[in-house]
Amino acid sequence: MNFPALRADGISKRFDATVALDNVDFEVRPGEIHAVVGENGAGKSTLIRILGGAHRPDRGSISVAGTRRHFASPRDAIAAGIVTIPQELRLVPALSVAENMALGDLPVRRMGPFAVIDRRSMREEARSVLALLDFEADPDRRVASLSFAERQLVAIAKGLRRDCRVFILDEPTAALEKREVERLFAVLARMQARATAIVYITHRLDEVVAIADRCTVLRDGRVAAVSTRGAFSVADLIGAMTGGVAEPAPSASAARGEVLLSARPDGATAVALRAGEVVGLAGLLGSGTERMLRRLFGADEPTLVTVGGRGRRLQHPADAVAAGIGMVPGERGLGLVLDQSVRDNILLPNLDVISRFGWLDRSAGDPMVAALMELVDIRPRQPRLKARALSGGNQQKVILAKWLARGIAVLLLDDPTQGIDVAAKAQIHALICDLAARNRAALIKSSDVGELALLCTSVLAVRRDRIIASLDRAHGIDESSLQAAIGG
Amino acid sequence: MRYRASLAGQVPLLTLLLLCAITALLTDRFLSPLNLTNILVQSSIMAVIAMGMTFVIVGGGFDLSVGSTAALAGCVASMVMLDAGIAAGAIAGVLAGALVGLANGLIIAFLNVNPFITTLGTMVLVRGAVFLITGGAPVSGETGLPGGFVALGSGRLLGIHYLVWIPAVLLALLSFVLHATPYGRRVYATGGGREAAYLSGVRVRRVIASTYIWCGALAGVAGVMLAARLQSGQPTAGEFYELTAIAAVVLGGASLQGGEGTLYKSVIGVLIMVVLGNALNLLNVDSYWQRVAVGAVIIAAAAAERLRSYRR
Repeated sequence: MNFPALRADGISKRFDATVALDNVDFEVRPGEIHAVVGENGAGKSTLIRILGGAHRPDRGSISVAGTRRHFASPRDAIAAGIVTIPQELRLVPALSVAENMALGDLPVRRMGPFAVIDRRSMREEARSVLALLDFEADPDRRVASLSFAERQLVAIAKGLRRDCRVFILDEPTAALEKREVERLFAVLARMQARATAIVYITHRLDEVVAIADRCTVLRDGRVAAVSTRGAFSVADLIGAMTGGVAEPAPSASAARGEVLLSARPDGATAVALRAGEVVGLAGLLGSGTERMLRRLFGADEPTLVTVGGRGRRLQHPADAVAAGIGMVPGERGLGLVLDQSVRDNILLPNLDVISRFGWLDRSAGDPMVAALMELVDIRPRQPRLKARALSGGNQQKVILAKWLARGIAVLLLDDPTQGIDVAAKAQIHALICDLAARNRAALIKSSDVGELALLCTSVLAVRRDRIIASLDRAHGIDESSLQAAIGG
Repeated sequence: MRYRASLAGQVPLLTLLLLCAITALLTDRFLSPLNLTNILVQSSIMAVIAMGMTFVIVGGGFDLSVGSTAALAGCVASMVMLDAGIAAGAIAGVLAGALVGLANGLIIAFLNVNPFITTLGTMVLVRGAVFLITGGAPVSGETGLPGGFVALGSGRLLGIHYLVWIPAVLLALLSFVLHATPYGRRVYATGGGREAAYLSGVRVRRVIASTYIWCGALAGVAGVMLAARLQSGQPTAGEFYELTAIAAVVLGGASLQGGEGTLYKSVIGVLIMVVLGNALNLLNVDSYWQRVAVGAVIIAAAAAERLRSYRR
């Protein structure tokens, strides 16, 4: 009998209050490319972490080639031939290409009573595997000196080196340019021919149509659809992902007010944010969009900006906050002190507002927190709960509440809806539009160009640390033109 | 749920009460007024140091230099006092401590040197400086330190030693600073999540540096108290104080990761250490075994804390 290479039955997983996966079935056969798609927060990452042994499911079972397995750690999964290439590559920058590939399984030879690393065979092995990928890198080069795309090939080569039955790739093309994507596809086709099963997680639906034999669509932690090649189109996939209910397009206000902030986010191109505007920053992973947001917030290096007609030098985020700029960082752990209460987190940037003669006026803080929790709908409404205990969407709302409490003029957002559920995502979109409607401005960076196309009055396209184009709503912003502008 | 949470927060206090109850049952000498007074006086100096250490640990740092700093402050205070009077001496001692704290803070917060290494360095360096300025001999002048200062080390107000009043007043004042001022909340936020605090507009480097200044100044106060008690500035005083203070703060439930801990519980931690030593003394436990017991208690407390946070 022909068993699937990897099969998961009835997998469920909860994190605190959030159901990440609810009774999910999944299988991939030898020589098959099985794509997994879904919106942010649909459960894709949780599923592959369970398949890769990084999380244990609350319920359900996993079998490899017909045998039931329990993975206590990623090590167990690797031993069973399941190799995961995560989005953030786990390579050691200070070691060489060959050392990284061999790490965890270094070839040794005897030298008297000692076992020493057999450098020659390590190098030879690396060279032969890299050749399979058409990648002629010097095995002695330090990984730190490679580009992101090259590192990804090293990570893949590392996986290939092992006896690999199932290969899981988490959004491998997020940071790649078109040419590099094609090379990756060629590699996958070659692995497919060697009967490796491939699980391919992606945001880009055209890739699914191009290479997948089968596609599983996740929505809110459940399997919304499974279909085979030829039976899916980009439109079908979008329909399955969103459940047919497209989010109503937020009304981007056409009227533009005065300039609230002008600056040079990339150090060269002048950008003005006007009252009522939501401006997008689009770029591939590693293109420098995150650094631009941090720069406008005075983080890491001093920046010159003009706020409300006055030139200011931002040397510290505290200067930006004083100038009326707020920031929602990309990792929620960076926006919140996780072990402190929701209340303390909301009050943190506002301590000066609620203190009198150097001491905190608690009676002023509590109603402020209560009103904000109501306004942005943080659930549960328990100001004393630790921020860690909230779901991702609610954590993000706490970060927004911090800045809304101050009445800031400009809000900088770094991927504000990444990894949160559809309902919370719509609420956050509404809050951003509401901010703009009240004559504030937002600058939003997102890995999801669809989100930018939906929200923004204009979008700045970024490639290699430079703003290379500006797309305006008046001339139409659509996903494919954005994708093309950023080189994806 | 709420009840359980509040009870869990009082583990240090419950531990102290349990320890006292057991000791009282085993020996009736424990509850004698003389013994209880002794415990308070013995705890007083360490309590002041532990309060400073709490600022640093809540802010996410660590300070090994407090013992040397206390010795420096005691000797500087004694030397100045002989020429310029009690008040000037005490102020000079505390200032000397604050300066060591300032140096620690600037190196750690602005040069990003690891706190362990930095304060290990200042611990050794300051001790060397103390020996240099004193020539290695105790400082007490030819006729001894002023009588008013010596009285501070043994006198009482309303039946309670001055040495006990000092930490009591400081505890009230500093608890207010840490819990009821914006500055205090920023210390907790910085220790709990430095990057998150930074991206909320908190000037984290200044906050971190300030915690070391508090710690140094309080070690200075402790050093002056110690000089009053010893009736001289002792260059060898305060050895291993840093370890006792850190152990007490951890016993009080603070996290070495930062962001957690309160002054009053750190003082409870000091009392636990002192009562434990006192109990073992009263029970005639061999002094070598006492060290083994104290070490074991510290590890047990820290391990219990880890287990509790694992379950979360």
